[in-house]
Amino acid sequence: MYELGEKSTGKKKLKSSDIQKTISADLSITRDDVKAALKDLVDEGKLIYTYFGGSFVEIPPK
Amino acid sequence: MAAPQRRTDIGPPHYKEFLPPVIQKNYGDWKHHEVLSGGVMVHTANSGDKIWSVRVASPRLLSTDTIRDYAAMAEKYCGGYIRFTTRNNVEFLVSDEKNLEPLQKELNSKKYMIGGIGPRISNIVHTQGWIHCHSAATDASGLVKALMDEFADYFTTKETPNKVRLAVACCVNMCGAVHCSDIAVVAIHRKVPTIDHDKVKNMCEVPSTIGSCPTGAISPEPSKKSVKINADKCMYCGNCFTVCPPIEIHDPEYDGVAIVVGGKVGNLRSNPKFSKLAVPFIKNNPPRWPEVTAAVKKILDAYIAGAEKHERVGEWIERISWEKFFKVTGLPFTFQHIDDFVIARETFRTAATFKW
Amino acid sequence: MPKKYETPLLDELEKGPFPSFVTEIKKAAAKSDMAADELGQLEKSYRDKRGYWKHGGIVGVRGYGSGVIGRYSSLADQFPDVANFHTVRINCTSGFFYTSEFLKEMCDIWDKYGSGLTNLHGSTGDLVLLGTNTENLEPIFAEFSSRGWDLGGSGSALRTPSCCVGPARCEWSNINTLDITYNVTQEFQDEMHRPAFPYKFKIKTAGCAVDCIASIARADLSIIGTWKGKIAVDQGEAANYAKKGMKIQEEIVNKCPSKCMSYDGKELKINDDDCVRCMHCIAKMTKALKPTGEKGATILMGSKAPFVIGATLSWVIVPFMKLEEPYDELKDLIRKMWEFWDEYGKNRERIGELVIRKGMREFLEFIGIDPVPQQVKEPRRDPFFFWTEADLQK
Repeated sequence: MYELGEKSTGKKKLKSSDIQKTISADLSITRDDVKAALKDLVDEGKLIYTYFGGSFVEIPPK
Repeated sequence: MAAPQRRTDIGPPHYKEFLPPVIQKNYGDWKHHEVLSGGVMVHTANSGDKIWSVRVASPRLLSTDTIRDYAAMAEKYCGGYIRFTTRNNVEFLVSDEKNLEPLQKELNSKKYMIGGIGPRISNIVHTQGWIHCHSAATDASGLVKALMDEFADYFTTKETPNKVRLAVACCVNMCGAVHCSDIAVVAIHRKVPTIDHDKVKNMCEVPSTIGSCPTGAISPEPSKKSVKINADKCMYCGNCFTVCPPIEIHDPEYDGVAIVVGGKVGNLRSNPKFSKLAVPFIKNNPPRWPEVTAAVKKILDAYIAGAEKHERVGEWIERISWEKFFKVTGLPFTFQHIDDFVIARETFRTAATFKW
Repeated sequence: MPKKYETPLLDELEKGPFPSFVTEIKKAAAKSDMAADELGQLEKSYRDKRGYWKHGGIVGVRGYGSGVIGRYSSLADQFPDVANFHTVRINCTSGFFYTSEFLKEMCDIWDKYGSGLTNLHGSTGDLVLLGTNTENLEPIFAEFSSRGWDLGGSGSALRTPSCCVGPARCEWSNINTLDITYNVTQEFQDEMHRPAFPYKFKIKTAGCAVDCIASIARADLSIIGTWKGKIAVDQGEAANYAKKGMKIQEEIVNKCPSKCMSYDGKELKINDDDCVRCMHCIAKMTKALKPTGEKGATILMGSKAPFVIGATLSWVIVPFMKLEEPYDELKDLIRKMWEFWDEYGKNRERIGELVIRKGMREFLEFIGIDPVPQQVKEPRRDPFFFWTEADLQK
């Protein structure tokens, strides 16, 4: 998931639902599992929410 | 001192903790209410219990000093119970009738305005403006202050045919019920935005910027990795600026406000209605916007003179017709009044019946 | 000693009877450099006729994507104490009831960590703490959450639900607006704090068709209390209104939108079958008229301000729903709506815009609601309609 964030940095802003949809399809796991993993990553500070005319998930700037 | 332990996803506290005992006892069991004066009403429960509400004007933007003063008065007269209305008025909830007079006396001595209940002008719902908003094309608080100073008597004592709901929005985002108010002021831009292409390249997503335009005026400018705007299609809404800040829409010389009228949200008598354009443009004239106050007064005076009892502004206009509205207010009718947005045709007149 | 600016333009707005926001900012500025710089920058805006704020970016409390709105001065060199000046949204109580004890605590925290300026309340209904810097966000959140208060919604999330005063102090409420709002807010904390929607989603609950919370104009989901049954008439009280000067024929009967009332000078009659429950007669004669029978709500959706397709008012999807704790039917409906939006919605597309784009049929079939005439003002007037394979077999 973090990799997906890395790949998109500087290209497209990802919405939380984009991540949930892509990963649950790629790895055939449930949306709820991805959602929980995403919550953990945000709680740890490895990913953060940002806002630009809509809410997105990004890797925090170093 | 270490910060206390944070907790997440607990939501707000239960509302019951904040209800005065007389409300807890008679919750959902109120019988009727009476308006005793411009700013005082009493609700009577089936049990016979009563609660008095004293409504006071607020600028919505409050300092902690003022909130502490509200709290102190609530403690002195209301057992500590206080609420705010959906139009940002303050309501002191008095359970003991003998506190009613002293509370009003203290409020009056401190120059708080008691009023806003019944067929009157209540507080103006408004937005942040220059105080705190990135997209403001005017200052909402200043306009509100100027308007409410002008109409203060209609808040405290004087009556109007029915309640008059005013609103001010500092841009067409309309964070407030401007689109459904009796009389509302909304700030607008009038010039095509300018684009800082270098910054667009780094800060913005081209597809979402294109998608933000309601009239399809934005298209890609591949050579600059940016976008371009078709000036013939742009209606200056500024939505592109919110998505992509390097598209600059602000223009102090040409920005200003429009006045819209005749909207309502309640279903009483007639269905909820949108506000419609009355005055397409008045330039920003801070600090008191006298031209705006004068135009609103013109509309309000015509309404008070012409409306039947219980008619809201929109119901009055629909009864007398829009052509008469422009006649009695003396407001000019211009090309801007005829809709040419994407949903225009619904407003064209498709009958031969109208007034001269 | 805090900073001080000359503010000749804003000083003009301290005159006059209505309480002055400038006086409020000055009170805060006497204690806070942030509020002082806010005042200084605002005076400049009044001089230059333009705002100087930038939005967006990365601010928030750990784990949340909501509740803090990033705001930055574009004149940070002139007004460094508002270089970042973020809004914190505290989830209001249902019905905006407070105790003095809480208000005083809130003021103490906010004086310590912020500008001392607030909005009671913001347009959506949050208790808005107006202006603090990034470092203070975590301590503010810890202070409030440890006392039982949480942040409200912002961004592409469920926004703080709000409601009218309802059964707490109004005889007209057909539903428990405060309880519905509290329940829905608690149920959907994750959707409020971790933005995962295409755009914002607002829920407003009004106890009756007077709609004091403006739900029909300002909510993606509007819940409006109503009833199925007769309006009970207390003829004695009706006569009292007439005695006190009310012209019942003119003011009540003639203003009835469905012409279901009559009055012969003695008796007020209502043909309840024709009543559309607009609330006019009840609001004007509250002592004489009372709705009776089954209570519930009409569920509408889709209202919003003009962006992008023009302003909309909410339209009916469920004409009548019983609303009793634990409100499962309502919560299931909300989840279904979000599923549809998640499936088909584009970034920054409100759910009402999506339903207009995809068509009501697709939406209603997805959420499992049958077509009924109450959903429309009138049937379609064009001859262009879809037939599915299943329709053709009927």
